Amino acid sequence: MNQQALIAILLLSPLIGFFLNGVRFRSTNYVLAGSIATIAVLISFICSVLLFLNLVDLPPEARRITANFFEWIAVDKFKINAGFAVDQISSIMILIITGVGALIHLFSIGYMHHDKGVTKYFAYLNLFIFNMLILVLGDSLLTMFVGWEGVGLCSYLLIGFWFNDSAKAAAGMKAFITNRIGDAAFIIGMFILFMTFGTLNMHELNMLAPTIAESSWLGAVTLGTMMLFIGATGKSAQIPLYVWLPDAMAGPTPVSALIHAATMVTAGIYMIVRLNGLFIVAPNTMMVIAIVGAATAVMAATIGLTQFDIKKVLAYSTVSQLGYMFLAVGVGAFGAGMFHLMTHAFFKALMFLGSGSVIHAMHEEQDIRKMGGLRKYLPITHATFFLGWLAIIGMPPFAGFFSKDEILWKAFSSSQGHILLWAAGVLGAVLTAFYMTRLMALTFWGKSRVDKSVHPHESPWLMTVPLIVLAILSVVGGWVGIPHVISEQIGHIPNFWEHWLEPVIRKLPTVVEGAHHDETMLEWSLMGISVGLAAISALTAYIMYTKKEGASDKVAKAFGPVYQLVNKKYLVDEAYSAGIINPLIEGSKNLWYYVDVNVIDKATYKVTDLVRGGGSFVKSLQTGNMQQYAMYIGIGVVVALSFVLMR
Amino acid sequence: MPETNMITTIGAEHYLVLSAILFSIGMAGVLLRRNLIVLLMSIELMLNAVNISFVTFSYYSGKVEGQIMVFFVMTIAAAEAAVGLALAVSIFKRFKEVNIRFFEHLKG
Amino acid sequence: MTADVFLFWFLALITVISGLAVVLMANPIYSALCLAMTMISVAAIFVTLQAYFLAGVQIIVYAGAVMVLFVMVLMLFDLKHELQAFTRGRATGALKIASVGILSGLIVGAVTIGLTIAGRSSDEVISAAAAGGVVDTTRGLSEALFLKNIFGFEALGVLLLVIAVGTVALSRSKGGTHARD
Repeated sequence: MNQQALIAILLLSPLIGFFLNGVRFRSTNYVLAGSIATIAVLISFICSVLLFLNLVDLPPEARRITANFFEWIAVDKFKINAGFAVDQISSIMILIITGVGALIHLFSIGYMHHDKGVTKYFAYLNLFIFNMLILVLGDSLLTMFVGWEGVGLCSYLLIGFWFNDSAKAAAGMKAFITNRIGDAAFIIGMFILFMTFGTLNMHELNMLAPTIAESSWLGAVTLGTMMLFIGATGKSAQIPLYVWLPDAMAGPTPVSALIHAATMVTAGIYMIVRLNGLFIVAPNTMMVIAIVGAATAVMAATIGLTQFDIKKVLAYSTVSQLGYMFLAVGVGAFGAGMFHLMTHAFFKALMFLGSGSVIHAMHEEQDIRKMGGLRKYLPITHATFFLGWLAIIGMPPFAGFFSKDEILWKAFSSSQGHILLWAAGVLGAVLTAFYMTRLMALTFWGKSRVDKSVHPHESPWLMTVPLIVLAILSVVGGWVGIPHVISEQIGHIPNFWEHWLEPVIRKLPTVVEGAHHDETMLEWSLMGISVGLAAISALTAYIMYTKKEGASDKVAKAFGPVYQLVNKKYLVDEAYSAGIINPLIEGSKNLWYYVDVNVIDKATYKVTDLVRGGGSFVKSLQTGNMQQYAMYIGIGVVVALSFVLMR
Repeated sequence: MPETNMITTIGAEHYLVLSAILFSIGMAGVLLRRNLIVLLMSIELMLNAVNISFVTFSYYSGKVEGQIMVFFVMTIAAAEAAVGLALAVSIFKRFKEVNIRFFEHLKG
Repeated sequence: MTADVFLFWFLALITVISGLAVVLMANPIYSALCLAMTMISVAAIFVTLQAYFLAGVQIIVYAGAVMVLFVMVLMLFDLKHELQAFTRGRATGALKIASVGILSGLIVGAVTIGLTIAGRSSDEVISAAAAGGVVDTTRGLSEALFLKNIFGFEALGVLLLVIAVGTVALSRSKGGTHARD
């Protein structure tokens, strides 16, 4: 089968699934709806695997399969094709999207079977997969933007899936509007790049990027990439636009796993990695990205310490991990960013699905204070969650360790890196270890605080199979990118990941000078510091939340106001309300009262009065009196005749 | 042209002027009378006036087509009278009167 | 003054007076009778114009059939005295009369001007008419009707049929044309 056809099937299969489920959205037959949706994504996954194998067969420099389906926009020099490209980066993404997506679809059949809108739900999920594939495969920024907006729409629809609850509908709107701010910046970025380079094709942009780094803050590349990055902060939930992601947990849990952990929120990182040739020549943008990433990683992790909603904890964890990825791409470690993106997709999807399983078992209870001791009721969920926990806190040899360590090492050693960035990363890792252990301890370990009326039960196989698969991936997923220092010790396993991405990723030089031996020692010691601190932190949390009752409350009391501030999420939402939203609303109200009512309304009323006056005059002519009509005819004849005669 | 000729010599213009006067009388009736049946009669007057002018032209131009036209007009007049009277009957059934103003209800 | 001329003036006078009477009579039955009178005098005018067949048809169709229809409908109704024969409203009334007057003036003017510009005297026209073959009118009429204008004739037949059906439908209905039984 030729490769363009494969790409077409890959893209169209979820779309067809969307239409099949979309036209019968009132149906409550969850088996049929779920099967259609899952099979559609499964077909896409098979296509992805075939495409990946095709790529492997090609020589490393020529690993790029393109498909131009039609010319989409052609205005003078502005030409955009509906073109899609599978290369080293996007092939990984489509594997993650369709693979993890298929597992989550399978999980959803079990999770959503009692819901009335189940067919609509699966239609949305398929539409999301379709849009995500467009985002990932689009070979120009504009094609990518179509998917970018499409996934935003699906995210909105799925967050507000239970729209009868006005808080959930509001969460959907918050996500959508926050994303709009980022999208506006994204569009401006596209304008700037098109003005500068005359193309929006990402491959060409990488080729055209100047060879010498741009040092000014207002250079075209710096401005353009900065705008794209602001767009990425919207989609990928970074400071200052991260506020929507915790609220987005209002949606069904599999949605949180698929959209708000594994795929959509990583679109920003993916975009930056795709344009690495462009970003790398804008060191100022890179610096901003790294700082924002590090700050987000730490801040979100601290908020995660204080939350009691199981999904909120995971949401802040996601924000924090996304911060890691931005830190990675900000210091020029694009490969490490992608690596963490993949491992994070595995273990975070696993943890969200695990939390979904818990919530399902607890009959929609999400507060971890009302859980505890669930290990004996949910053995499979607990076992898989446990593996995910080890992965996320970065214990070797689980997936998270390799990717996180790679990021930390690059943050320290890269020419864009700094010891403070590294320190922030380690702090984030320590905090992550703490709040994740806290989550494990409060949910699964210790004494049961479950309400007497609730009888937790293990989920059906439809839900546990995806958990098991993802747990395996969380364990082995990191082994494709084992760093040199370790592989040297255990027998020269090549770093597949770096090797694979090498042709499409530009690298920054490592600045730690000196002998090879010193560098190895340094890397080993840094690795030891971060893992050791994380382990200590996890142990502390374990003792605090399982062995010593009330210890956590004492700590919370000791910190007092600080704890309150963190618990209230640094009052960021309130600050946005007070600083931006309320002034906007007040300003709009003033505009309404003074400008709209007094000027615009009056002007339009004048016009309508004029029209109405004219109308009522004409209406007075239509009396229904036929003799009057006859008179008008007579007058008309008189006028016409006199005109003819006088001529 | 001396004035005596106007009275003693009858030409096409005499007939045409007669037709015009009869037409105007009919038109005045249509515009001013309220009784629907009298209104229809006035329309007949107008049609007759037109017939006179047709026959006059036919006579003075020596062609027979004018008279064919009169046939047609007569047929139309008969048809129009039939429909008009049927309308008058239905108006009368509803309002017990045949005043033209009841047609104002048709304005909608 | 020859007999022809006298006949024309006499008939014209009767036509105009009876026509005015149709419009001015308050009682519709008188109007109907005056209309019959007008029809007959118009038929006589047709005779002076040598349209003998048309004159016959005029009397049979108009003065006969149509007038009988009118009178029958009038008899069908309750013939109370009409309180208000003419429309109200002085301004519109004046406007109506003025437009009628101006229209007739325009027509008369057009006729005289037209014939003067054409430059033909009435005598020449008459002689032309006498030279033409309008003498045998009935035969010429039938030939023109059934040979040249047969399509129009048939179309009129269809029209009459439609009118007959429509009239029956209108008269049968109770609450208007869209009433269902």
